[in-house]
This record gives sequence, C-alpha cells and structure tokens, in this order.
Amino acid sequence: MAQSSSGASDMAQQGAQWLQGLKETAMSMTQREKKDEDEGYSPFHGLQKSAVLQECRCFNDREINARRCITILTKILWLLSQGDKLTRLETTEVFFGVTKLLQAKDQQLRRLIYLVLKELKPSPEEVIIVVATLTKDMNSKMDLYRANAIRVLGAIIAATDPTLLAQIERHLKQALVDRNCFVAASALVSGIHLMHVNGEVVRRWVNEVQTALQSDNQSVQYHALALLHQIKRQDRLAISKVVASLTRTPLKSALAQCLLIRFAKKVMEEDPSGETRDRALFDYLEASLRHKSDMVIYEAASAICSLTNVTQRELSPAITVLQLFLCSAKPCLRFSAVRTLNKVAMVHPIAVTPCNMDMEGLINDGNRSIATLAITTLLKTGSESGVERLMKQITSFMSEIADEFKIVVVDAIRAMCLKFPQKHRVLMTFLSNVLREEGGFAYKKAIVDTILIVIGKVPEAKEAGLAHLCEFIEDCEFTLLSTQILHLLGMQGPSTQDPAKYIRFIYNRVVLENATVRASAVSALAKFGIQLNYLRPSIILLLQRCLFDNDDEVRDRATFLVALLKGIEGGGVGIGGLNARQLLMEPLGLPLHAIEISCKEYLAKPSDVPFTLANVTVAPEMLQKERKAAATKAATAAAADNPTTARAAPERHVEAEADLLSKLPQFVHLGQRFSSSKRAALSESGTEYEVSCLKHVYSSHLLLQFSVNNTLEDQLLENVTVAVDVSSTPGLAFESELPCSAVPFGQPGDTFCCLRRVEGLPIGSFGCTLKFLVKDVDPAKGMPEEDETGYDDEYHLEELEIAAADFMKRVPVVDFREAWDTIGGGCEVVETFSLSYNSLKQAMDAVIDYLGMQICENTGNPAESARTHTVLLSGVFLGGVQVFAIVNLRTDSAKSVGMRLTVRSAEMGISQFVASSVA
Amino acid sequence: MSAAASSTALGSYFQSFIDSALAWVKSLFFKQEMELTLVGLQNSGKTTLVNVIATGGFSEDMIPTVGFNMRKVTKGKVTIKLWDLGGQPRFRSMWERYCRGVNAIVYVVDSADAENIAASKTELHELVTKPALEGIPTLVLGNKNDLPEALSVDELIDKLNLKSLTNREVCCYSISAKNSVNIDITLEWLMKHTSTAR
Repeated sequence: MAQSSSGASDMAQQGAQWLQGLKETAMSMTQREKKDEDEGYSPFHGLQKSAVLQECRCFNDREINARRCITILTKILWLLSQGDKLTRLETTEVFFGVTKLLQAKDQQLRRLIYLVLKELKPSPEEVIIVVATLTKDMNSKMDLYRANAIRVLGAIIAATDPTLLAQIERHLKQALVDRNCFVAASALVSGIHLMHVNGEVVRRWVNEVQTALQSDNQSVQYHALALLHQIKRQDRLAISKVVASLTRTPLKSALAQCLLIRFAKKVMEEDPSGETRDRALFDYLEASLRHKSDMVIYEAASAICSLTNVTQRELSPAITVLQLFLCSAKPCLRFSAVRTLNKVAMVHPIAVTPCNMDMEGLINDGNRSIATLAITTLLKTGSESGVERLMKQITSFMSEIADEFKIVVVDAIRAMCLKFPQKHRVLMTFLSNVLREEGGFAYKKAIVDTILIVIGKVPEAKEAGLAHLCEFIEDCEFTLLSTQILHLLGMQGPSTQDPAKYIRFIYNRVVLENATVRASAVSALAKFGIQLNYLRPSIILLLQRCLFDNDDEVRDRATFLVALLKGIEGGGVGIGGLNARQLLMEPLGLPLHAIEISCKEYLAKPSDVPFTLANVTVAPEMLQKERKAAATKAATAAAADNPTTARAAPERHVEAEADLLSKLPQFVHLGQRFSSSKRAALSESGTEYEVSCLKHVYSSHLLLQFSVNNTLEDQLLENVTVAVDVSSTPGLAFESELPCSAVPFGQPGDTFCCLRRVEGLPIGSFGCTLKFLVKDVDPAKGMPEEDETGYDDEYHLEELEIAAADFMKRVPVVDFREAWDTIGGGCEVVETFSLSYNSLKQAMDAVIDYLGMQICENTGNPAESARTHTVLLSGVFLGGVQVFAIVNLRTDSAKSVGMRLTVRSAEMGISQFVASSVA
Repeated sequence: MSAAASSTALGSYFQSFIDSALAWVKSLFFKQEMELTLVGLQNSGKTTLVNVIATGGFSEDMIPTVGFNMRKVTKGKVTIKLWDLGGQPRFRSMWERYCRGVNAIVYVVDSADAENIAASKTELHELVTKPALEGIPTLVLGNKNDLPEALSVDELIDKLNLKSLTNREVCCYSISAKNSVNIDITLEWLMKHTSTAR
C-alpha cells in the first residue's frame, strides 16, 4: 500500500490523468484486489465454496443444461484441487446431484462426471448406487466411456466391496487386451489397485497381462509390466525369470524400461547366492546407460550407484554418464546427477573425484538446490590441498542461500573437518564467521554442534573453538545454545592453558542475561573453582555477588556452590558421601527418584550416621520404570532421525542399568560391578516362554539376570525363578535368588540368581530350568479369575555357559607396542592351535569372542586376500589386571587356520588362564 | 443492387429463425416428456418391466441391479425418463432422492411372494410419507400375476393398506411383465399423468 502511494506521488509530475488513475487504485483496497484477480490467469480465483454448492442445485433440473453443468463440475474439481474440504453432508448432496447428470448424453459432461466421481470420494454406502450405470458404460461402444468407467469402477470396488469384482471380471479381462490403448491402460491400472483388495481374481489375468506387455503403446506396456510384477510379487523365482527374459528383448516404452531396471536391481539385491553378482543383469544395467532416453540412462546410472557392495570398476561407467549430465542444459538432469553423485560420494569419494571440475562449475548454478548439492559433494570428495580454495568459494555462496541449505553445508563441513583434522584452522575460522552472521535457531545450532564435535574429536582445535564460542555467547539470542556452550566451557575450560580468560565471558552472562542462562553461568563458574585452586577465592567472590539474584534457581545454585567451594577451602568432605568434584563434574549414577525416597526414609527415621548415597537402594519396580523411560527416550531419539545418538543411547543405558543392580536391596553386598556379558538367549524366539540371560561379574560374585517374556496370551506367570544347577561346576555356589512376582503376557520381567565364587575362576556350562506358577487368563479380560489358584510348572532352558571372556573387560590401550614392552615377557604364555574355519576373518572373529578382548590399533580388518594376519588385543581381567595378546593367524588350507597366541600380563596364572580359554 | 441482395439474405435468415421458433413451439404441444421412478423390493421385477416397456422383450435370467439404471423410452409423442432403482436394502434409503420432483412413482410388488408382502408395505408407506414426495401420484403394480399363488388386486390393496394413503392419487394394477398382461393399461395410466407436471 505504502509503495503504491509513493509511486503515485512520483507519477504526479507526469500528468494529471495518470495521477488520477493511480490515486483511485491506491485509495480503494478492494478495487486493487479485483485488479489482481483480473491479472491472474485463473478464472476461478476467489471462488466461494458455498456459492458453487448453491449452483449445484441445477443438477436436479428436469432439463439438463450441459454447458452450465460442465462449468459447475469444473469449479468443484478446482475447489477440491485447492484443498477445499466438503463436509460429509455436502459431499452427499453433490454426489447425488452428479448421479442425476448420468442421464445426459453430452460427452464432455460425461468425462467430467467420471472425474468428479473419483475425486469426490463419496462414502462407500452411497457410491455403489452408480455401479450399475458404470458397468453399462464399461460395455459402451465409446472408448472414452469404457476407459473412464473402468477406472472409476476399479476405484469404487477397491474402496467398497471387493466381492463385486467377480461380476465385472469378464469385462475387465477383455479390456486388458482392448485394441484401444486408453482402455487397456485403464484396465491395467485398475488391476494394480484391485491387486491389494482381491489378489486372487487379479492373479487369474496373467495371460492377458502378458499379452498387454507386448503392446506397442508406451503406457500399456508400462502398466502391464507394473501389474505383472505385482501379480508375481510373492514368487521371487518367477520374478527373476520374467526380468531375465525381458532384459533380453528390449522394451519399447522408456517408462517400462525404467521400471524393469528397478526390478532388475531388486532381483540382483535379493539374489540368495549373495556373494556373486548376476553378470547378465549387470550387463543389462550397463547397456541401459547407452539408451537414447535420458530417463532410462539416469535410472540405470542411479541403480548401479545404489547397488550394495558396488566396486569402483562397476561404478565408473555410471559416473561417466552422470558427469555428462552435469553439463546438461536441463536443470532436472543436472539436479538428479549431482544428487546421485552426492550419495555415491559418501561411500566412494574417489569414484566421484573425476567430476570435481564439472561440479565446481555448478557452484554458481542459478538453481540453488543444485549448487548446494554440488558444494556438499565437493566437500566430501575434495582433497586436502583444495580445502582453502573451496572454502573461499563457499563463503561467497553462503550469503545467497536459505537456512536449510546452509545447514546441509555445515553438516558437510563437519564431515570434512573430521576427515582432515589438520585443516581445522581454516574450517574453524569459516565456522566462526558464519556463526556471526544472521541466521535462525536451527542453523546456529548446527554450527554450534559442529564446533562442539570438532572440539571433541580434534584436541588442537579446542582453544580456538572455545574462543569462538565465547565470542558467540556475547551476542547470542538463543537461551538453549547459550546454556549448552556455558556447560561446555565449565567442563573444558579449566583444562586449557589459560582458564582465567574464560571467567570474564562467563561472568558477563551473569550480569547481562536471563535467569536460565544466569543459572548455567553460575554452575560453569563453580566448575572452574572446583578444579583450579588458585582461582577458587576469586570465584567464591563472584558467586557471592549472585546470592542476591532475584531468581530462585540462580540464588539456590549460588548458595549451594559457595558452600561447596568454601567447604573445599576448609577441607570438607562434600555431601552425601560424594566430594565436590564428583558432585559437579560426574553424572549421578542413581535415579533421582530413588534418592528422593531414601531421603524421605532417612528423614522419617533420623540416625546419627550421616546420609550417604552409598546407602540408597533401588526397588526392582523402579528398575522396570527406568528401563521403560529409557526405551521411550531412545524411541524419540530415533524418531528425531539422529542415528548416532539413537544407536548409542540403548548401549549406554544397558551399562547404567547394570550399575544400578548392586543398588537392589538384596544385592548391596556385591560391591562395584566389574563387567557384563552380552545377552545370551536360553530359548528360541517364538517359543512359549522366551528367556535370555545377562551375566554380571562382581569381585567375588556372579549375578545372572534372566529376562523372561511370556508369549502365551492365556497365561499369567507368577513367582518366576530360574533354577541353576551348579553342582557340576566346581568353585561356584548358589547364594540367593530374587523371583519376579508376575510376568503377564507381553510384558517381560526380570528374575535374578546370585552365585558366589568360592575359589578360582569357574568355567563351564550348567543347566537352567524356568520355574513358575501358572494362572489361566481369559484373553478378553486380561486378568485371571479371582479364585484361580494356579499350578506349578517348569520349563526346560538351554544350558548357560560361563567362559573366560566373561571375566574380561574390553579396554583399549593407546600405544599397544609400548604397553606390550612395558609389561615385559616375565609372565608370557605362548600357545599354538589349529582352528577349523573357512576363512581368516571367521577365525579371527571367533578368537576375539573367546578372549573377550578389545582390538587395538585398528588391526581387526584383514585384507580380503591376505593369507596371514596379526591382531593386537588388550583387556582388563577381573581384579584389574591388564592383559595383552598378540594373535598371529595363517591360512593353512581351505578348511583350517593356524594360530599362534601370545599372552602377557602381570600374573602368570592369569596369562595361562587366558591362553587356555581358546582351546 | 447490392443493397437488395443483402436484404434478401437478411430475409432468409429471419425466415429460418421463425421456422426454428415455430418448431420449438410445436414441440411444446406435440412432444411431451415425463419422468418416472421405479422402486420396490429386490426381485419384484422392476428392471424386467423397464425392458418390457422399452423393447417388449422378456428375459428370464436377470442380475440384481447394483445402483440404478437410467432409461429413456419414447412412446408415441411422449418421451419417458425411467429411473430404475435397485431394491436391495442398502439402496432403499436412497430411493427418496430419485423420487423427488418426478411425475409419478411406480411401486412394483411381487404379488406371488407372500412372505415379503409385509416388508413391501412398510417400505412403501415409509417412502410416500416423506414430506418431499407429498402429492406425487403413485402407481402400485402387483407383478408376476402369471404365477398361481399371485394375489389379486383387491387382496393387494388390502395387504398393502393402500386405502390409508390419502392426499395423493394412488392406483393399483395386477400385471405380468412376463406375459405382457395389463402393460397397456399401465402405460395408459402413465400417459395420463404426463400433463400433470409439477
């Protein structure tokens, strides 16, 4: 509005008439809108739904005005395509109105009626009223009627009553091979839809579909191939036969060709023989790269690029055609090529390198999507020497693109930073520059996350990174990022060369920011105070200034932390059995809820002994609850599409949960947990009761955690235990067990069995039996009857094995050679074995499993053709004794692998025990 | 000269316009159109009746009508639009929509099916009491009178309680679509109601 009136005053000099006209336009908003409407090319702009529905009444007129009805139906279709929703009632009214129009003979009107019937989506009860009429149209002499009626009828049957298909099957079968291509394609498309609801009938059309596949018409051939694939979908062998025969006789339709390429790729991927690739099919893909249609060429190239385990040699012809596409005049080809190359670059950066020159040209492409993809691909494939040049190009480019593209670029830079750690200076400078520019939260977060990850992975980049982040929080509008950075400063800052310089940045936050940021700044300050003695008095001074903050949380934190820091000065011991450092710098090993309950109990019955966290116990129910909470958390993390955290979270959680076990009241005496085994199944999945076991090793105990899953809907298990027969294993004695009170259907429960190590390191296997009380349950109610007493039952489980690996913890060492030499050959044991494995890799994996030790210095990947290989292993044995092993493997024959195992540790007994565990 | 020629051309245009207007006016008087809806329980013979009226042919094996059939039949000067609706329960709630504004409702009953006569009565009464269909002349046809157990007209009037239907013209015939019995009087009744267009 303002613009147009200022425009008007400019125009004033050019003539009174102009001025008059412009003034009028500027004054009346509604007029202007009307003008816009005229300028727009859609005659339906601003169409009102209610007005159109009003017009629909003329459908019920005795004399039908075809022209008028055509306009109205077009309006309805336009409204629907614009996303206007008709209510149930409105749909019904329009639908029955349209059925009245079926009496008209006008062809154009009829065509629109078919469209409306499909788009309107009337309710299933109502829509069947047109079935008879459509069936008649299906046999009409007019091709247009036949084809459209087949499509509408197919859609109606698929949506309402699949049994109706039997009535029209005969007609549909004929239509499949109709001379008119529109009719045939319509029947094929209907077949594809009907396949989902009434597959048996459609499967009988196989011969007709085969005939249609020979059609000269593009559309018919394409749809015939799609339907044929649907029909044979279940039968892998049949599919591969069809694909193999079709690849020998080229299809006329480019669309069908593309489809066939996809099917061929699928057949190759699902090939049960796995190892070797079907040469004939691959040759077909390669031949398709020379097809005359761009579409087919691209489909083939993209199929080759996405093959699993594709080799460089197989890739190169596909990359060559994609390279040609990069220089194409069509943006669509450039985009698809660069997108595919981007994907390939993740796995095979070297294969994409030849295209780098062409991609650099694309950085200035008018289409920003293409440019972004080109940049990110270059970041993945670029060589170390080219980093500077590339970053210069990106800097000019960044200001021109939208935030979501910027995030993609930042992600690519993160990957590059990890690939070339030496280049962190250039990349860090770049990141700090973009951090200072304008941008939304998601973008800024991506940058901060990248800096955090780089700091974590590249130690040299730490100081510079922290400095950039300090600068950033001076002017950061996002509370979440500020708190995240303050936390990091607190954790990392004290260990830098000059920690004092961060204090100013952090304290500035206390003065200038909102309460949330102030609180985290206070915590960060305290972390400096705890770790650095010389700064502590100053920090206490700063914190004391926060004692009168007007926010509760800030005040509470400051008060607590001042007390804590003063306590250190005075030589105090901290709170609840933990010292100040543990309290602030390490995660709490217990659920807060458990501490809360323990505190309440303590307050209810105060004693002279001070409360310590060591006395906190965890109830089994709480353990269950924790697990559920963690599971939902992992699920949300997975939903947030963050694969790294999603995968790491459950593992970390299993560890944390195992640590809590010794907090169970029954098992407090076990002490600190040493290690836990992997989960071992004691019954096959799908049996009545699924049981698996986790072995936790303590200094003188073995805690067996059995997870029981009841898969019988009509049973409730109570008082569930697992009886372990240790009589045959000397050195182990049964101590106690903790039954699971109830295991209902589908809700796994845990029962524990605690064994004491009497002497030595017991190894062997022992029988397990699941014991429980069964109560019958009515699945409908999910609860057993009141008076149901139940009966005792047993269920035999597979044997549980205790091996040497259970007493070993996988702990890596940084410099294996040095550690190996330091420990010396005093307690060295050397053994040689002949193992019957087919390959070196299999033998290696098995040995590592037996020993339960960590692979060092990346020696776990023997070259494919290697006949000898050496693996370096390290671990910590029960009791904290370091153990090292060198495994030399040699292929003796096709069926056996020779091995020499050298074990060193501080104790001869342990070296011998470890060495013998492979036998 | 040229002016005279153009006036003749104009005259012939004018003539043709008058002709077409006359033809249209004539059609108003001599060609008439009517709209009918056929309803009734399934298997009462509605579609068969339509076929007999349209072509005079009778076919023994018919499939149930799923939805409706729409036929246009020309009898002499009259074009009849026939909405032949399916009789299965799932269509009955939709009958009313196709009865609105028609010249006459034709209700077909299987007069030989004693079991369903009560259901037929209920459906008929439910339909004609709909406010939108008030006053529309209704013709009740007892079909299949060739069968021995078929009810007579009087029995039908009684069983269907037609006497209670007031405020509209109701007529009842016993017919056989198979043997073309009483089809002529049915048509005659229908023709009579052409002019009573609403």
